[in-house]
Amino acid sequence: MKEKMKRMLAFMLLFSLVAFAAGCGSPASPPASGEKTGTGAAEEVKEDDDEVEKTAAGPAMNSKAQEIEQVLMDQLAPLPEFNTGEKIGVLIITLANPFWVAMKEGYEKAGAELGIEVAVMAAPTEGDTKSQLETLDAMVARDYAAIVASPIEPFNLVPGVVRANKKGIKVINLGPPISKEALKEAGGWLDGRITVDYEEQGAMAAEYIVEKLGPAGGKVAIIQGIPGAGQSEGRTAGAKKVFEAAENVEIVSIQPGNWDRNTAYNIASNILQAHPDIRAIFCCNDVMALAAADALEAAGKREGVIIFGVDFISEAHEAIKEGKLDGSIAYSIRVYSKAALILALKTVQGHAIPDEVFSPLALVSKENVAEFEGWE
Amino acid sequence: MNRTKIKLLLGNIFPQLLLILVMLIMVIFLSVASPFFLTWDNFRNVFDHSSLYIILALGMTFVISSGGVDLSVGAVAALSGVCMAVAMQNGLGVGTSILIGLAAGGLVGAANGSIISLFKINPFIVTLGFMSLARGLALIITGGIPIYGFPRAFTWWGSGHIGPLNPPMLLAAFMAALAALVLNMSRFGYYTLALGGNEEALRRSGVSIHLYKIMVYLLCGVTAALGGLIVTARLNTAEPLAGWMLEMDSIAAVVLGGTSMKGGRGSIAGTLIACLLLGILRNGLVILSIPAYYQQLLIGMIILSAVIFAEVRSRKGLASTHKKERSTAV
Repeated sequence: MKEKMKRMLAFMLLFSLVAFAAGCGSPASPPASGEKTGTGAAEEVKEDDDEVEKTAAGPAMNSKAQEIEQVLMDQLAPLPEFNTGEKIGVLIITLANPFWVAMKEGYEKAGAELGIEVAVMAAPTEGDTKSQLETLDAMVARDYAAIVASPIEPFNLVPGVVRANKKGIKVINLGPPISKEALKEAGGWLDGRITVDYEEQGAMAAEYIVEKLGPAGGKVAIIQGIPGAGQSEGRTAGAKKVFEAAENVEIVSIQPGNWDRNTAYNIASNILQAHPDIRAIFCCNDVMALAAADALEAAGKREGVIIFGVDFISEAHEAIKEGKLDGSIAYSIRVYSKAALILALKTVQGHAIPDEVFSPLALVSKENVAEFEGWE
Repeated sequence: MNRTKIKLLLGNIFPQLLLILVMLIMVIFLSVASPFFLTWDNFRNVFDHSSLYIILALGMTFVISSGGVDLSVGAVAALSGVCMAVAMQNGLGVGTSILIGLAAGGLVGAANGSIISLFKINPFIVTLGFMSLARGLALIITGGIPIYGFPRAFTWWGSGHIGPLNPPMLLAAFMAALAALVLNMSRFGYYTLALGGNEEALRRSGVSIHLYKIMVYLLCGVTAALGGLIVTARLNTAEPLAGWMLEMDSIAAVVLGGTSMKGGRGSIAGTLIACLLLGILRNGLVILSIPAYYQQLLIGMIILSAVIFAEVRSRKGLASTHKKERSTAV
């Protein structure tokens, strides 16, 4: 009997521990978000040098980033009032991907810079569409003035957005699109959208590859993300168009790597087995491109194959410097996340904003990687 | 004699009582910690989300009680949703399309059960195979692109209103009542538990093991398909990726609810409460803005502690019944 009581007590204790842990993490205060949760990849993003850039004309090494920020800010003028303390919720895809970890930090930094309260939530994995919707629903139950959301698929967040609309919470869609058509049918709408042109990303990478291959051309392959996901389909379509239009370039394989390192590694080795004379692989993100580079290196065939990614995560930055990766398509995470928050603020404060804002792109390759030092 | 009976009964519902207690503590804590938790809108969310898990976990309770496991339910939910969508695209009626989807789920379930029973292969492996197979089929049928836009009569199943509630909640409640009746009162339920408790004894008493095993997995396939109906109708979209990791969520709920992984013991009430508890936990963590990393950690901790607790208890229970048997024999 005593034994039983003891066990029950232990069980209770565990729950109080859970509750305690919950209490610790509860306020969406900036210090809690600054934890070193990143997968190493995010570390570079953490260098706190944006204070410097903001004030002075900035060191020359950040010229690219500044250029891009200026372009975007012009697009967003007139700017809203800052330091108003609005609460803005952000729903990203997953913290299991270094890109989204960097985005999370971008949001939090931008939030501090703009003087607003920002809480970033995420789905547990990149494929878990239902959990992402559940997370959004729970966010809508809170008191955010606006929510910036990036869906896993065009449709999975639709019911949650409709609920936010009904409650008067402004919704900004960042990155992968939430289907406007589906929203309309469900009686909802988006208050704004900011994205990058995915097709353009694929096309830019493919153009670089085609140029490097020269008139001789050769066999190329594409490793996609999750089939059906907006970024994946867009980048694939853009690259495909350019490859197909080029003389002597033949697409031998288009495979879904599901944004997953291991899957992409296996696909790359399989492609190499089937086509030892492969000349280039375009991957729909950097994580997969790095895996493809590893796979080719492991097979001793890295030389002479162009491998290109998208996103320009810091691990890719290092890899391009070392020559492990040939290049990537960059858009400044810092500018991108900040722009989303500014758009959210504008809608909350009653400004009109354009239907869609594009974040500017830059191609990073071996040739120009030096100009991207300190890029965020 | 009567006294031991009462004691036994109390002992049987003890884990569920404990779950309810834990749930109450969580509700109280969350209500104090956040003003946004204890509102009808938010609780409606919790019930709405939980209904999907409940329906899948009901079928899973039968499978696990029978000593098996079904890893294919998430993929089956996606596949049957896709089947319904394709049927509607081809001009079939809403009712017919739903039946086709449910049949697809039942078919995969029956295939699971047949292979497990006839070839005597570990259910883990067989259902793992069907998980991949069903997901692959869903991707092939849709070409990887979600199918979108269905008649209102169909989306009603996910986002309709019945008073303050919605169809998924009522469907979950109805299914739970039905499952409790079947598991505890019917011959099928009795044999399901017997399959998990002592398959050999059941076989020797002349019961067709194959038939009942196939039926158990078929039932699980149908509940998975019902889950597919809800997801597809709610999003007005059939996604080939729907139901990702749903198998893990439902297994976790079933085990947390006090159903034994070894089979022979199952509790529908426990499953129901566990689904609600996990639903409240997931919701509460977001309400408190706790980062996703911790959410997974906490859910893992709760499941582990519940399983350890149940295991320790069942061992002690076993020991005491042995003792009693011996004493009555003497």
